[in-house]
Amino acid sequence: MRETGTGNKEQGTEDTGVMTTVIGNYPKIPDLPAPGKWRSAVEKFQKGQLDEAALRAVEDEVTKEAIADQVDAGVDLVTDGQIRWEDGQTHFARRLRGFSINGLQRYFDTNVYFREPVAEGSVEWTAPITVQDFAFAREVSARPVKAVVTGPFTLAKLSRNAHYSTFAAYVRALATAMNAELRALAAAGAPVVQVDEPALCQDKEEFPVFAEAMRVLVQGVAAKTILCTYFGDVGGVYPQILELPFDVIGLDFVAGHRNWDVIRSAPFSKELQFGVLDARNTRVETPEEIAAAVRRIAGSVPPERMMLAPSAGLEFLPHGVARKKLRALVEGARAAASDVKGARA
Amino acid sequence: MTLPLLPVTAVGSYPKPSYLLEARRKHLRAQISKEALTELERRATREWIQVQEELGMDILVDGEQYRGDMVAYFADEMAGFAIAGLVRSYGNRFYPKPVVIGPVGRRSPVTVEWFTYAQSLTKKPVKGMLTGPYTIAEWSFNEYYPTRRELVLELARAIHDEVLDLERAGAAFIQIDEPAIHTRPEEDFELAVEAMEIVTNGTSAYTVSHICYGDVPKIYPDMLRLAVDQLDLALKNEEFGLLQTFKRAPFTKDIGLGVVDAHSHRVESVEEVADGIRKTLQVIPAAQVHISPDCGLKTRTIDETVGKLRVMVEAARIVRNELTGILSPRPR
Repeated sequence: MRETGTGNKEQGTEDTGVMTTVIGNYPKIPDLPAPGKWRSAVEKFQKGQLDEAALRAVEDEVTKEAIADQVDAGVDLVTDGQIRWEDGQTHFARRLRGFSINGLQRYFDTNVYFREPVAEGSVEWTAPITVQDFAFAREVSARPVKAVVTGPFTLAKLSRNAHYSTFAAYVRALATAMNAELRALAAAGAPVVQVDEPALCQDKEEFPVFAEAMRVLVQGVAAKTILCTYFGDVGGVYPQILELPFDVIGLDFVAGHRNWDVIRSAPFSKELQFGVLDARNTRVETPEEIAAAVRRIAGSVPPERMMLAPSAGLEFLPHGVARKKLRALVEGARAAASDVKGARA
Repeated sequence: MTLPLLPVTAVGSYPKPSYLLEARRKHLRAQISKEALTELERRATREWIQVQEELGMDILVDGEQYRGDMVAYFADEMAGFAIAGLVRSYGNRFYPKPVVIGPVGRRSPVTVEWFTYAQSLTKKPVKGMLTGPYTIAEWSFNEYYPTRRELVLELARAIHDEVLDLERAGAAFIQIDEPAIHTRPEEDFELAVEAMEIVTNGTSAYTVSHICYGDVPKIYPDMLRLAVDQLDLALKNEEFGLLQTFKRAPFTKDIGLGVVDAHSHRVESVEEVADGIRKTLQVIPAAQVHISPDCGLKTRTIDETVGKLRVMVEAARIVRNELTGILSPRPR
């Protein structure tokens, strides 16, 4: 296993004008044939052969490696890879008050499954959920770290409400709870906080509920905020989505290829997290393809107002391919940047 | 062959005994030969056939002791695929995800030899077990075909050939697993229907399709158009909540009724399982009901698996006796 945290701050693309980032999760284990230290540790933990502290230590190590992969590839704004998350739903539901955890459900149109949270009582935030993990990641990363949380709308859609009389009331309670988490992250010094809301792409007719929740969610949060959508497009809620109190909007241009048209339908007034590398296919994009995508969108969003990103978390890919995608992302950003320089020279 | 009312079967996979897991690890590291591994796979298959016979199940499965993963197994045996690497499905479960790199198709029959072996061990019918074209396509990366449609239909033709070969080898029951079929219902369900028509075209075997998790209500009653005799579904996972869905329109096919949770360690009580069956019979006539676990049991321990199979058999017997009015003594 490689040394961790060896990223070179001089590399990367910050001078050339096209920033890079990732969406969030990252493969937890290496490619075959090794079972991987995380998987072995979880198995031992489940058999009672490893205590919780030892499992946490392995998660620390694997988190460092996930960060090192990003830093070494030259990604500008990294995440902790969500190595400690079983999934985006139960990671929060198990740590908020009010939830029990039920049977397996499919996660959107993927072959990934999670246990469905059930809100059986009043949903409340009682203690920070991701703050310690953010602090750990910042400590071991040579690049700025983005904190990521699952948004209240998606949490509500992927769980069962057995307590609140309306869906809107349920989403509002989740938004209030997650607002406390975002404030805690900002207070801990998180410069950028991303809210994942893939469910918006599936349930656009509930945009009024969504919009109200987003206003509650980011109130008093002193950090740069990203609203990140994926697995679909935002046609139907665009340009209204631009009125929400976020600095950056993340869009998926692969599963949501309609976003190419959507974004041309009204001026894009925010910063764009440009999800253009396919996070769900092994074919690795060439720098030329990525540069062409940046050129294609330049009429709506100039390169200095975007961060290039994969279309979703990289955990849908095997580790070796995920690493190649990170490198393709950065090489693509460099190709796009030299394009820009060439055009301006 | 005649089946009893409420015949008991399984979805397909059973856990592998520790000697086989060890042998698979050694084979991966080239420490034992393929032949040595196959011999242990046959031993495990014999053991599972015997367990099912002793429990009194009616339609047996071979337990898939020779398969790692339901999609990768077919990808490994067919042309056009490579294995991209491991991806996580849930918790600490990972599967080797294939990638389509060229035209897909069969090189030779994939499952016939194992079917023939398992069937030779018992007089009870053994189900032929296939993974459906939509699921193979959906759970693989596609780097070759321009559209999912082309890939799915090409795979459907290959799986159809496999169905005919299984039938020729004597399979009276053939199951085509399509757990991914409702992944994109609006976009793709017609494609899935078209593919299943290709797969089962011209076979006289009794055909089953196993569909699990995901949004079943979204494809009901459309799913009744799939060209199979039986749909095998996970009812226990949501405590028979799906019965509300089946009240919307008559369930016109046979149902493989998932009555035990395939992903919980707890072995259900006989009474709990019998209640689930009774609840179902208020919605679907008994003549259309087969009793089954929610899903393949390979992630359970052997004890949990045998426990769950046993309560299925006992619960089915209790409800069967209630229906036929016979208060027969326990068999044996």
